[in-house]
Amino acid sequence: MDLATQQRKLLGLFRSTYEATAEDDPYIRRVARSRDLAEGKKNIALWRVWVFERTCALTVNLLRRRNLLNNLVKEFITAENISPFRETQAPAFLEWLEKSEDHLLASVASFELALMRVREGDQQTHIISWTVEPASILHCLAKDLPFGAEMRAGQYQTIVSSRIPGHFEILELMTATSRAESR
Amino acid sequence: MAASSQVEQIETTCVSIGATYEGRDPALLERMLPLVDYIEVTPETIAEKNGSRISLSKDVMSELRNISHDVKFIVHGVGLSIGSHEGWSPTYFHLLDELLDQIEVAWHSEHLAYTKVDGEHLGIMLAMPKTEEALDMVCQRVIRMQDRYKLPFLLENVVHVIPDAPGAYTDAGFLNEMTRRTGCGLILDVYNLECDAHNHGFDIQGFLDELEMSNVRELHVARGVEDNGFLLDVHSQIAASSTVALAQKVVRESEGNAKVAVYEFMPEAVPGLGYDAITDQLHRLRAAFGN
Repeated sequence: MDLATQQRKLLGLFRSTYEATAEDDPYIRRVARSRDLAEGKKNIALWRVWVFERTCALTVNLLRRRNLLNNLVKEFITAENISPFRETQAPAFLEWLEKSEDHLLASVASFELALMRVREGDQQTHIISWTVEPASILHCLAKDLPFGAEMRAGQYQTIVSSRIPGHFEILELMTATSRAESR
Repeated sequence: MAASSQVEQIETTCVSIGATYEGRDPALLERMLPLVDYIEVTPETIAEKNGSRISLSKDVMSELRNISHDVKFIVHGVGLSIGSHEGWSPTYFHLLDELLDQIEVAWHSEHLAYTKVDGEHLGIMLAMPKTEEALDMVCQRVIRMQDRYKLPFLLENVVHVIPDAPGAYTDAGFLNEMTRRTGCGLILDVYNLECDAHNHGFDIQGFLDELEMSNVRELHVARGVEDNGFLLDVHSQIAASSTVALAQKVVRESEGNAKVAVYEFMPEAVPGLGYDAITDQLHRLRAAFGN
């Protein structure tokens, strides 16, 4: 087996995009059924989790509370071609999570990504929508405190910008009812 | 033998001490500086993305320039991927160029491994198969590296994540031939050897007996965690006494060519380890290596 073939097949095994067959070289079949491959994959995930714990702590905290961290990191690793440059890994992970159908997770990831960009000098204003009141959520995630008994539902936005002291502010949007009441 | 008694004073060979520093933690740097002779810098970990361009952090480079009178630098890359069949990473060269323009370094090094295949990243380093094809390719690239940068270049043994592929050389035989053909030096990561022994029954003594020890210029000392019976190559702990003792043994056998032992740890591990534990480790290394 030449070097290119061997490397391509091992890449496929590590990224779970290739399954060894009976026609494969014995070495590839040996790796495919080895405990080492499974441990290697866990090792990859472990490195990523450590980086994310340091670089996107709010989102990691939320994922841990929901017992989603390990599975989502593994999904992310399989789905994305992750750069070895550590500083790019958290933004890529947060961009991937922004697409989540879980509204709270998407909002926290978007918020943390926007904050990261603004702190790095981004001059744009980022608006993130929330379906629950964000201040207490963000406070609990930042301080690692339990969420209150009930998250207060509502329509909110966080505005993230370098022009805002502290880099963000929270707006409560008026609901149809509150708009009617205010007239 | 009790672990603590494995570390002995080296009587004849004094080896300098180095430590990883990835910037943005000046309090840690201040604690480490009196204890180290070398700071190991990894270009990729001090890089930032500005739009589509990846470049070195100005803040971190400023930190490094500020200590350039107090300490020497060695560069240790992780993203070159010297063993990828399709070619190495051009981005690494941009970063290395940028770094060498700003600080003076004693030598630079990388891992004898590949991290990407056809542009797709593995997320881990895999060891090279010990074949003629791999040896020829790596040697050509080492020579190109030496031609481009007029600095000593070293390659490090990486941990064997998966079983070794069949090849024409033993691990030590491959390293011996590579150094013979190119004149490059070696980094021996002794913790990686311990991982290989623990995970795959690797014969450390047999490896050391076969290796041309005079090619070893630098040692890496680290410790990770055990998971499911496997020792993982993650730099999150204080080095075990057995690791330091193994490093001492390599130093003794390197005929005075091993110049520095570097304690490697990830920035992610610093909060858990604490500054005191890191500086204690450096004190112990200084004592162990005759400083």
